[in-house]
Amino acid sequence: MAHPDYLADLASTVYENLESQHDWTLLESHTHKKQSLPETKTLLPRPLITGLPPRRLYLHPDDQVELVKTHATYTVDETPEIEWVLPMHLNEKFTLKQMAEVFDSLELPEPLAEGRCKRLLMAIVHDDSTVVYYFVHDGIVKPRQN
Amino acid sequence: MTSSNPRPHVRISKAANRYLVFDIDDVMYLRRNHNICSVFVGTMPQAPQQSAFMGLPIELMAEEAQVLVEKKVAYVVDDSNYHPARIAAAGPQDRQYLDVVKGITSDAQRSMREITEARKAMFAHKGASKKKERRDKKASDAQSSEDVTVAPSVDAEADTSLFDTAPEPSPATTKNPSVTRGEAAPEAWLATLTTSDALLTPSPGQNELLASVDVPASYPLYAHLQDKGYFMMPGLRFGCDYNVYPGDPLRFHSHFQATGFQWNEDIKLLDLVTGGRLGTNVKKSFLIGGRVEGEEQQRDETDKALDVRAFSIEWAAM
Repeated sequence: MAHPDYLADLASTVYENLESQHDWTLLESHTHKKQSLPETKTLLPRPLITGLPPRRLYLHPDDQVELVKTHATYTVDETPEIEWVLPMHLNEKFTLKQMAEVFDSLELPEPLAEGRCKRLLMAIVHDDSTVVYYFVHDGIVKPRQN
Repeated sequence: MTSSNPRPHVRISKAANRYLVFDIDDVMYLRRNHNICSVFVGTMPQAPQQSAFMGLPIELMAEEAQVLVEKKVAYVVDDSNYHPARIAAAGPQDRQYLDVVKGITSDAQRSMREITEARKAMFAHKGASKKKERRDKKASDAQSSEDVTVAPSVDAEADTSLFDTAPEPSPATTKNPSVTRGEAAPEAWLATLTTSDALLTPSPGQNELLASVDVPASYPLYAHLQDKGYFMMPGLRFGCDYNVYPGDPLRFHSHFQATGFQWNEDIKLLDLVTGGRLGTNVKKSFLIGGRVEGEEQQRDETDKALDVRAFSIEWAAM
């Protein structure tokens, strides 16, 4: 079982964009769940990409407050975190149900800190090769102070 | 919680499909204890022309009314049916109250009549004395000055009595020149009371006049956020269903623009980009959410809080 071709192509477009335009490293494409047996490989609802951005992309507002208190904000940029990326095309539509399925299929390398939610980067591709990235949090997460 | 709280239920008047709360105590109670502040929609008696600062009543969103009904802290009454039905079915206590109102009315009518009669008599007296004065003046040239000195004193007396009684009659006499000039006393002098509290004492539950609330499709998301203690205001100014504040809107900026969707409703990605981009520009997250349907719902049925799933969207700045 595999994803339809257009989804695979979409994933590769985003993969190349991350690699070449945004200098991400450790990039990896995912089509099947990792922690399943090889013969009963479960297909992910949609192809996903993981990778390491050159700088930290997201800082939770609570952590930001802590860092401002200890004057350690400069350390953040140097500690990037692995991010999950969900490639989508602008002409697609999605439902809350599909989004929930994608989040439920996310296997995080390590358990989340208390009070934190899963997050992913939604990469939205358009035909003119523009790719825009939006963070989607699984739950009610307050906005960053910028 | 409600059993230990002796506070009477909040009365929500449903009039022309709007949900209104008229009691300022209720408004403060809802704001303090149920994170609902809503919108003031009443013009102010002192400045009815201006529309920037409004007063009581507040107009609740249908979602707010429904949440309060579900929490059993309020009841919704259809005002157009309620008032006539209530007055028709008045009990002894209500009769007593209506009698008091009628008493006030007849008192007002009586004193109005008295004032009119007194004025009539006064004008008649004054006119007579003036005529007399004129007649006397013609004849006074040759006569003694006694009559002349008497006449002005009568005139002065009439003047003082006119000024004393003038402020007493109610404004209706000045508004209605026909009343002062007219022959008969005004027929209908109805007392308008400042409150109809005494007529509004039903106990919820046994009252069949309670109205239903028509909530929009985004209600589950509203109820979920409300349950978590957020304050919601109408979302027009940020193009969403609700502006979500983490506390009283007087103290906090809003954190989210929230829009509710059905579980299987198609969401256009461009809508999501638009919401996310606008939200980032105004330092908010774009929140989407809805009630979980299907298998998941059965799993979560025991825990109502899990019934809704929400996602926060922010621009990633890359």
